[in-house]
Amino acid sequence: MAATETRRVAYYKGCLASLSAKELDTSTQALAPLLGIELDELESVTCCGAGDIHEAEPDYYLHLNARILAYAEQTGADTLMTICNVCTLNLRQANWQLKNDDNLRARVSQNLETVGAPPYEGTVEVKHLLWLIAEGDGYEQLKQVAHKGLKGLKVAPFYGCQILRPSKILGFEDPDRPWSLEAIIEACGGEPIDYPAKIKCCGFPIIQAREETALGELIQPIEQASEAGADAIVTPCPLCHLSLDAWQSKLKKATGKDFQMPILHLSQLIGVAAGLEESELKFKRHVVSVEPLVEKLEA
Amino acid sequence: MRAAIEAHDAGADVALVSKIHPTRSHSGAAEGGINAALGNASEDSPEEHAFDTVKGSDYLGDQDAIEILCDEAPDDVYQLEHWGAVFSRTEEGRIAQRPFGAAGEPRTAYAADITGHVLVHVLYEQVLKRDLTVYEEFFVWKLVEHEGRCQGVIAWNLLDGGLITIGAKTVILATGGAGRLYTGTTNAYACTGDGMAQALELGIALKDMEMMQFHPTTLAPTGVLITEGCRGEGAYLLNSEGERFLKRYAPNAMELASRDVISRAEQVEIDEGRGVDGNVLLDMRHLGAEKILERLHGTRELSMVFAGVDPIHEPIPVRPGAHYHMGGVDTDTWGRTTLEGLYAAGECACVSVHGANRLGGNALMETITYGKRAGAHAAEWALTNTTVEVPESAATDAERELGELLDRREGERPWSIRNELAETMHENFGVFRREDQMRRQGEIVDELRDRYESVVVEDKGRVFNNDLTQALELGFLLDLASCMVVAGIERKESRGAHARPYDFPDRDDENYLRHTIVRWVEGAPKVEWKPVKMTKWQPMERKY
Amino acid sequence: MRRASARFALVDVALKIWRYDPESGERELREYEVDAPEWACLLDVLDLIKDKHDGSLAYRKSCRMMICGSCGMRMDGRAVLACKERMKPIADAGHVPVISAMGNLPVLKDLVVDMAPFWNKIRAVKPWLDPGYDEVAEKERIVSQQQVNVINKESLCIMCGCCVSECNSMESDPEFLGPAALAKGFRFVGDVRDHGEVARLNELNQDHGIWDCTRCYFCNERCPKGVDPRDAIAKLGAESIKLNIDHDMGAKHAKWFVKSAETTGWLRETELVPKTQGIVSSLKEIGFALNLAKRGKVPPPFPPHVAKDVKEARALHDLVRTQGREGAAGIVQGEHALAQIEHVLEADERGGEHGGD
Repeated sequence: MAATETRRVAYYKGCLASLSAKELDTSTQALAPLLGIELDELESVTCCGAGDIHEAEPDYYLHLNARILAYAEQTGADTLMTICNVCTLNLRQANWQLKNDDNLRARVSQNLETVGAPPYEGTVEVKHLLWLIAEGDGYEQLKQVAHKGLKGLKVAPFYGCQILRPSKILGFEDPDRPWSLEAIIEACGGEPIDYPAKIKCCGFPIIQAREETALGELIQPIEQASEAGADAIVTPCPLCHLSLDAWQSKLKKATGKDFQMPILHLSQLIGVAAGLEESELKFKRHVVSVEPLVEKLEA
Repeated sequence: MRAAIEAHDAGADVALVSKIHPTRSHSGAAEGGINAALGNASEDSPEEHAFDTVKGSDYLGDQDAIEILCDEAPDDVYQLEHWGAVFSRTEEGRIAQRPFGAAGEPRTAYAADITGHVLVHVLYEQVLKRDLTVYEEFFVWKLVEHEGRCQGVIAWNLLDGGLITIGAKTVILATGGAGRLYTGTTNAYACTGDGMAQALELGIALKDMEMMQFHPTTLAPTGVLITEGCRGEGAYLLNSEGERFLKRYAPNAMELASRDVISRAEQVEIDEGRGVDGNVLLDMRHLGAEKILERLHGTRELSMVFAGVDPIHEPIPVRPGAHYHMGGVDTDTWGRTTLEGLYAAGECACVSVHGANRLGGNALMETITYGKRAGAHAAEWALTNTTVEVPESAATDAERELGELLDRREGERPWSIRNELAETMHENFGVFRREDQMRRQGEIVDELRDRYESVVVEDKGRVFNNDLTQALELGFLLDLASCMVVAGIERKESRGAHARPYDFPDRDDENYLRHTIVRWVEGAPKVEWKPVKMTKWQPMERKY
Repeated sequence: MRRASARFALVDVALKIWRYDPESGERELREYEVDAPEWACLLDVLDLIKDKHDGSLAYRKSCRMMICGSCGMRMDGRAVLACKERMKPIADAGHVPVISAMGNLPVLKDLVVDMAPFWNKIRAVKPWLDPGYDEVAEKERIVSQQQVNVINKESLCIMCGCCVSECNSMESDPEFLGPAALAKGFRFVGDVRDHGEVARLNELNQDHGIWDCTRCYFCNERCPKGVDPRDAIAKLGAESIKLNIDHDMGAKHAKWFVKSAETTGWLRETELVPKTQGIVSSLKEIGFALNLAKRGKVPPPFPPHVAKDVKEARALHDLVRTQGREGAAGIVQGEHALAQIEHVLEADERGGEHGGD
């Protein structure tokens, strides 16, 4: 059931959706037209740098993000849509810095021009898909799209860090009492599960360099969601998804507990409720099997 | 901390004893800056600084002490910078200086509007560097006197409970002021005049106790400080008619007149019906958002949180609040009190550098310069005197006294006495004073002291019992209030912060160019007098 | 002079406080209700409770104006300065907040935590200026305001502990130095007068240091003074890499992102593991990696997945490196704009001329 009104956005999928989390991209691309979103995919872009380039070479981080924003502006859309927490923070932060500092903007724009990239004008707003469909017209559209429903499936929202904090840059919702994922779960016919660690860190940024510390963080949302009876966890960030899903097996080694908790990307959750196919959802790419969930819904 | 650092560097074994963690000290709340004739903003000299200070003191300041402060100030400020203090800078990269009240030249060195915070932290860093022994969260209750010397302190261990005695060849009091005597005060809860009361208990003289400075720009009702730095950057003070009323009181210096002049002007405007809800208005809008965000960021935050006003868009309602105690323990220019081995420096001392009114920016300077001097002298004395002896009776007496207090099950809770003290002092011993009110206040304080005899501490535990320490602090405040009122009654003139417009509106140099001295004699405060030291400057008419 | 207290309306404020008595070991959630003046902050309400209901309630306080750092505590699980939280809006909304001691530090009694571990970590970063063998100048050292601005935010720190209270990394690893100590570390690394930069960074590049930060941004969110400790940690990382102090796995991880961006545009994920962890450690991960590979989570590095027009990204890298904004300067340069955010957003709300993201 396609939407009656379409909005066009510049689509920046980020590194993980391009490669290891391809399922996020395929489900987003399949879902978008149903939601009335026309994706104008950006190609002449790079990694946003995550927290890593921001920390290793911050001036380069600023330029890479300025370039992404500049190419987004070229599409003529007023919104750059992201599907990753980290990309959202990085792009919004860069956008703020450039918009509110004339000298900085002048220098960066000049550099972009020098290398043959388009100029940065400051005409796009960066928004995560989550925000586009959590309220207003987007939410109404979502309710229509999720016609198949989740049949009361218990879904634990996991926000992660960088879609909420620092709140002065992200600003969509109260960082300590967010509601967007819960609203979406409900719109899809699921039952949102509440638990304290839903706004805490999954540990991804240090999962390689400081594995033990990261696992000490990672176990919290998975264990709490499990104890609260959740059938699945949904997250708007592919980096969190990687931790929660791909590293879940390491928790078994460290704690002896085998949670087998399926982890869904946001667009997959909606996709299930909307009746998308496995070829679009690509659950087979997950490390922790989503089968139990699929079976429960088909029952 | 400055004294401790100096004493340590001179070779002494030093212990810093503080009832709160050292970085919580109220010096950290000082905002506008520290005065020294660095000459970075204009031509300046220690002599000009000294003259401004003498005039600012309404000629009650001891000029030898003032000259020492102003001479040593520049090097002392450079020392802070060498240690790493993060000052704001001029275009040439030198320490920036701003204009401040009653100063002939812009000599208030600053760090945005958090100068005190920056200095407290740089001193603490130097304390850590030297690995000084710090008795943190130890509440000093009494000083130990033995054989004509101060030989240590008796303190309550706040974290674990219990009294301890610390013997020392010299003790330096650096306990700050007593703004908590008033309801509207810029002072922290910790500012209860501890050292002054402890010295008083040993019969040591307190000087100029009636001199309490009311800062002109504090927020109602609590008294949170809005820095003079705002006026230094160009802010205006307006009454309800939108008039810069200071043109009628201090036409030359206007908003940068001395604090006592401005506080009185504000009080008159308010009393005569030209206030706004008991306040006047501090208007900074014309400074612009950029300047406010850059130089007065802390002020803006305070205004928004405590007054609900964004100074970029609206004027801040302000009024006089008890801020700084010029009076204190009588010391010489090395910080020595009349008791051998006991020193005092900073706000709790009265050298006197500030006389009847303090210039903004001079208090921080005094803590540094006189802290240094007291530290140096105390170390030298300690290194040349070998014995320390604390008699057992000191400890046992204290235990008994404390036990009596803690054993009491019924009585009055401290808060009612404390609040009544603060409200009545605010009413009867504020910016303007009258004989009948002061006498009545004396009686009120006596009554409160009687009631204090049956004060009850509810918390009988050992761990973190600040119900106990707060009750002890109230005792200190009551003693000091008595002294202040008595001295205020005896000074039958108006000078600096002591304003008696109804009975003695003028300054009387012939009879009162002298300090009040209060000692506790047979259970009551007794007033005597001490001459002012004059070196270069004769008293003149004081106009701004 | 008029009495201060008479004019203000009273508000009925209810709170729940986690009490802890170390002498009996009892821990209990107790409810209190007081009439507080409408301007009251949480600290004022605690004072009223202590005065009128229970003198044994323990908490620290001093300045009551957000500068001394004494009164850090949790309200509904989030660290705040008690003197900063206005109670009227909370009471008006009918909410009864739960007050508890700050996190990540042992509780001594009620709302009082043992700050010793906090101060020990501060001490561990050697928080005093190291001027090296420089001749001490006769007057002040010449330092430009721009140089001062590099450590402006870190100088605001009042050591309240709110950042530490919610630090996710420290919760998992109590030995993590933490946001306050690391921000203090940058206060010196970034101070042009300090000559111990290399030694300091070498210290901080060890276990429980810079690269242990999990980037949860709770510290930035909680800090009542706008210090932004996470950004200070990023500045430390940037300075480390600028000075080639990059032996830590975290640094190697970060550098690989830079390499990826300028060569293929997109992150070369597969090589991330060996580049971060080294060959030996990566071999240990073979089982894990194969499991991921089964799902296609380990994209083959060949042919490389190259973004369009990636030569622009390479050229950009070469270009920016010549412009002197390396290391922490790259983060400091954005602070002026970020400091405007709240002001700009407020202006928007008032109908000002700033358009905004």
